[in-house]
Amino acid sequence: MDNVKTYQICEGVNFNSIRETRFKTGRISITMFLPLANETASQSAILPFLLTRSCGKYPDFTSLNKQLNDLYGASLDADTDRVGEAQTLSISASFLDDRYALYGETISAEVTDLLCEVLFYPRLIDGVFAEDDLEQEKRQLAELIDSEYSDKKLYAKLRCEQVMCKDEKYSINPLGEKKEVLALSPQKVKEAWERALKLARIEIIALGDLDPEPILACLKKAFSLIEREKPCDCSTEIIKIAEKAKEVTEYQDIAQTKLVLGFRSSIAGVDKNFFSSRVMASLFGGTPHSKLFLNVREKLSLCYYCSAFYERQKGIMFVQSGVEKQNIVKAKHEILNQLEQIKKGNFTDEEISATKLNISNNYISINDSLASLDTFYTSQSFDSKKYSPSEYAAEIEKITREQIIAAANATSLDTVYYLTSK
Amino acid sequence: MQLMEIKSNRLNDSYFYGKHNSGLKVYVYPKKDNSSTYAIFGTKFGSINTKFKDAKTGETLTVPDGIAHFLEHKLFESEDGDAFKKYAKTGASANAYTSFDITGYLFSCTKNFEESLKILLNFVQTPYFTEKSIEKEQGIIGQEIRMYDDSPNWRVLVNLLSALYQKHPIRVDVAGTVESIAKITPKNLYDCYENFYNLNNMTLCIAGNIEKEKVIEILEGTIKTTPPVEPESIFPEEPYEILKDRVEQNFDISVPMFQLGFKEKAEKTRPSLHKIVETEILLEIFASKASHLYRELLDKSLINSSFGSEYFEGPAYASVIFSGESQCADKVAEIIRKAADELHQNGIAEEDFKRAKKAVWARYVCTLNSVSSISKTILGLSFANWDFFTALDLIAESKLEDVENRLKEQLDSKNSALSVVSPLASCE
Repeated sequence: MDNVKTYQICEGVNFNSIRETRFKTGRISITMFLPLANETASQSAILPFLLTRSCGKYPDFTSLNKQLNDLYGASLDADTDRVGEAQTLSISASFLDDRYALYGETISAEVTDLLCEVLFYPRLIDGVFAEDDLEQEKRQLAELIDSEYSDKKLYAKLRCEQVMCKDEKYSINPLGEKKEVLALSPQKVKEAWERALKLARIEIIALGDLDPEPILACLKKAFSLIEREKPCDCSTEIIKIAEKAKEVTEYQDIAQTKLVLGFRSSIAGVDKNFFSSRVMASLFGGTPHSKLFLNVREKLSLCYYCSAFYERQKGIMFVQSGVEKQNIVKAKHEILNQLEQIKKGNFTDEEISATKLNISNNYISINDSLASLDTFYTSQSFDSKKYSPSEYAAEIEKITREQIIAAANATSLDTVYYLTSK
Repeated sequence: MQLMEIKSNRLNDSYFYGKHNSGLKVYVYPKKDNSSTYAIFGTKFGSINTKFKDAKTGETLTVPDGIAHFLEHKLFESEDGDAFKKYAKTGASANAYTSFDITGYLFSCTKNFEESLKILLNFVQTPYFTEKSIEKEQGIIGQEIRMYDDSPNWRVLVNLLSALYQKHPIRVDVAGTVESIAKITPKNLYDCYENFYNLNNMTLCIAGNIEKEKVIEILEGTIKTTPPVEPESIFPEEPYEILKDRVEQNFDISVPMFQLGFKEKAEKTRPSLHKIVETEILLEIFASKASHLYRELLDKSLINSSFGSEYFEGPAYASVIFSGESQCADKVAEIIRKAADELHQNGIAEEDFKRAKKAVWARYVCTLNSVSSISKTILGLSFANWDFFTALDLIAESKLEDVENRLKEQLDSKNSALSVVSPLASCE
């Protein structure tokens, strides 16, 4: 983590500078973490979208976007997601490095100002968000929630999470609920904005060839006007072992059956063993030479995709596949059989080294993308020890056969979800 | 072989280019501080090349729809095993893709680059197609096709192309159908391979932490030189007019999606680089978030942030496509068509042009951040004998008059078609 310089702006608000000269763009992102909760998810979810739509200085969508276009098509992106059971509200700006401006403009300083403008000085009318802006963003957020239904692979995964984590905060959609989104009032959203600035854990990252000083100064000035309180608790509940596997089938008019298996991995968060769970999941179904790819796809020709993914923050693992309806049982049986094989240690040293090489390749490649670096570091916001991509790869290298077997044996099947046609 | 330096004075960046005796075009874009290196080995062969004159016999051959994609899958297998297994030893992340006009085989790695490049060059040059392995693949690709059948995002495009085009094979889905791929034989695959995988029809692009000398050394040891072949695809004469102006399919979804395409007169080859760049500036002026059109559609609650536009072009086809989600796609189409007519009438404002030019310039420069974007972009340009830095210069030097002239040949509202995917009636 030598290349990351961290400055504390105030309690719970950190500014991180990662200086790299080899990119042709810069990126500054602001991520606010709040606990996922049914009562507040919708009102918080809309904030990044609403704030990047206009601001006091550029009070309508077109004037703001003309300004961005003039700054060489700089983009102001909004996103609402989650890390574990924390809802993440993020606003990020990506822009051309000053060196490449055709007429010598300084893009980075203007973009920094703009980013502070949208977060701290939104367009308010009579002290609350403007009704017309809010109505537009409510409709668009509702459509975004609806669009999750259109992507059947994604939808099946979301439904499996919801069934599996029914009584946990993890089942709350970070984008909120459509009905509640549509009912939001300008007053409610204004309160959510104030609450986020006051209580959220906030992580700011500047990446690229950017001098941290002026950015830090701009942020310090803005935060000095906020009465910050002790940041709220964003911890994630970990359920280590599944009690009894549930099976749920839902129906839609679709061509291919989507199959999702949810497992409890018992290893999560800052538990250092998570490196072994990552290797185990990848050996199981993370590469084109994994157990699932070679057996469910190549040997049995049952599917086009069959992959496993480990979510460290929550300590869960998912397997996803798309198969013909009549092959559901066969596919599920083979997926579970392959996990059994790993539990029994039926894998070669070549499989271990190939898996580790692949993971380490993927981690080291993160260095080459500003957006990936941003996500990588943001996801470690709550960790006491932060790793760089290369340090991460080095930890992966240390994992042994025994640790992989142990990680597999610590894994228990929680939920099997099918999305199929009638 | 020799690679010569191509420089951009505007960016102070450079890459190397050379042509091997075999006809293979080679591009090396060094990025010294990068952690990863990316290589792509591609051929100018995609789903539209289903009819061609066989170089050996001179006979006209017609092959089943979806064969380019099928061949891509099958090339990974050879007599001594699967290419993925070989990559497993080097740690490279490997993949391949087939589009309407290109097939590309690629990998990215952070170590063992030389070994991985040898694997790539060897397996793509070693076809091995048998009845048995074809049969196995039909099950896998069958599921890939079924997966796309459930994708409204993909179907809305395929449906649009089948409405815009009357005869051109761009009308046909890249992967073909379960029925068409069932007809594929080893001979079909070898016929395609011999015509389109001749090195004279191929490009190798490498970007990342590498030296050009190393690449040349590996090439000299792995390239199998065969007499050059100039593959000759046969495309039917495509009329200017669209086939039909509206097409709709129902899906189990909740937000309807649309694509609105404006077909233009296409040459036998791709539009010129000038035309492509000018069209991109034009679309930035006409439909970006800073445009009047975007604002009007937003104010009427007709679009959301998924709205976008692209210039969809290739050999003998070219269209401008607008896409997005909307509760009322027909209304969106009406407004875009009207705005296009007004643009033709009123022309373009100088300040709009200036802003758009800067945004398009930045977008091209940003391509150079990522080794995968560099390689894929250069590959696409190479098949039309274009150079990336020339594209940048064309943007920097573009003038309002050029874009206005370009507009005259585009956005003909009378030659446009709308494709909609709508929720099932029972879901309403």
